[in-house]
Amino acid sequence: MRGTHRVSIGNKRVRFRFDVRRNITVVRGDSGTGKTTLYDLVAAHMREGADSRVQLSCDRPCVALTDYDWRHQLAGFSSSIVFVDEGARYVPSEEFAAAVLGTDNYYVIFSREPLHQLPYSVNEIYAIKTSGRYHSLEPLYRPRVRHVYGTPSTVRANYETLLTEDAKSGYEFYRKRFEQTDIVCVSAQNNSGIYPWLRRHLERRVFVVADGAAFGAEAGRVLALQESHADSITICLPESFEWLLLSSGLVRNPELQSILRSPADYIESRDHTSWERFFSALLTRETQGTAFAYPEARLAPAWILEQNAEQVMALIRDRNVR
Amino acid sequence: MLNVQLGDMPDAVFNTAEYFKNAYLPEWIVKPLSVQMIRDVDRSEVVGPSLIQSPVLGPISPLQLSGGVKTLMLLDNDRSRVFNVSTCGDNCAKWILHIADSRARQKRRLLVNLRHLMDFGAGPFRIRVRDPEGKSLGIATNRVEFLLLAGDYL
Repeated sequence: MRGTHRVSIGNKRVRFRFDVRRNITVVRGDSGTGKTTLYDLVAAHMREGADSRVQLSCDRPCVALTDYDWRHQLAGFSSSIVFVDEGARYVPSEEFAAAVLGTDNYYVIFSREPLHQLPYSVNEIYAIKTSGRYHSLEPLYRPRVRHVYGTPSTVRANYETLLTEDAKSGYEFYRKRFEQTDIVCVSAQNNSGIYPWLRRHLERRVFVVADGAAFGAEAGRVLALQESHADSITICLPESFEWLLLSSGLVRNPELQSILRSPADYIESRDHTSWERFFSALLTRETQGTAFAYPEARLAPAWILEQNAEQVMALIRDRNVR
Repeated sequence: MLNVQLGDMPDAVFNTAEYFKNAYLPEWIVKPLSVQMIRDVDRSEVVGPSLIQSPVLGPISPLQLSGGVKTLMLLDNDRSRVFNVSTCGDNCAKWILHIADSRARQKRRLLVNLRHLMDFGAGPFRIRVRDPEGKSLGIATNRVEFLLLAGDYL
């Protein structure tokens, strides 16, 4: 499934309106905001259709995962928006992740657990916002200038460390970019390595750059740590390193701007478990046979050239990280 | 003092809403503490043991209360099990601390299972943080201490 889908569902007393645009959407937030009500509306409509008196408007079927035998139920859904309630113990499991990733459904999951098995975006974590009888989904984390998230940074001196989740091309790019400077580049190896690294180095001024497209499970603890150390930590979460390279203007393709403006219209959930995978494949395809050729394991020298690297860094620059 | 065991805890009641459905007693609903919690978290008024007035849904049964309030009432009234409090939003945190303090005054402890990073407020509070095996990691007295003790497990 691809595209952005508007869901409008309600009864005589409540109505929910929101858009779903990626394979995984997570809904959390305070108690008493209507998560269970929304889930129950979807489940009632699935069971009884129009006879439930639930009014549903969406260009795709909206279904609720209700069965104890969720594996069997899931196998019957196709090209649907599947709602999963927080009472489902299997949701944090590897088995559930394996079952949902690579399907052509979108999933709306009600859960406060981090769900480390699922590569969901920091931009697709929502809380329910209520205005009278109308409810909508509001992002829990919003980017500020140049993909920086969290509490406004009060870092007043230059950064000492650039910490990236990447161990391959991304790390290589930053390491070479800053090798003649005072900034030390460190790889956390993966996104779950970022919190422990920061936790061990709270005395350092650190600029963190990680892939927002799969940072959802880490967002809670990393942004909480940033909030308590806003004078030393800045968290920058562009979609992915490959997205940065594609957005730099160095890759020429007439369709590229359209893809970057509206990725959901181009990314098939069955083929790409997260948007970073799509951008990686796109960058590889678009740079094949050029000076910017992108096999992920080894970065082409053209990306490191002063003028080109500056164009990439302009998208995330902050103080001496530029 | 509240005792929090982090991460997966197989013996804890995970689906507290289902447990509540089959365990709650009507008298729980009209207890003064329940009335306060329902007013604060769900912004609803208790009319009687089987009727609550919700500003959005109108008259509802206790089974239509939020998962968070149901879990709070289980913590207050059912001492036979450990409950998953990741069914509670941050707006339930002060009530979890309140129930733990009440329990402490009776020389009993409250142990809960937490599977996400809950914001218990700036503090001061006293929370003993335990790893998924039940081993004590220390006592947190404010938000930052709690984060630093619990973050590795959530």
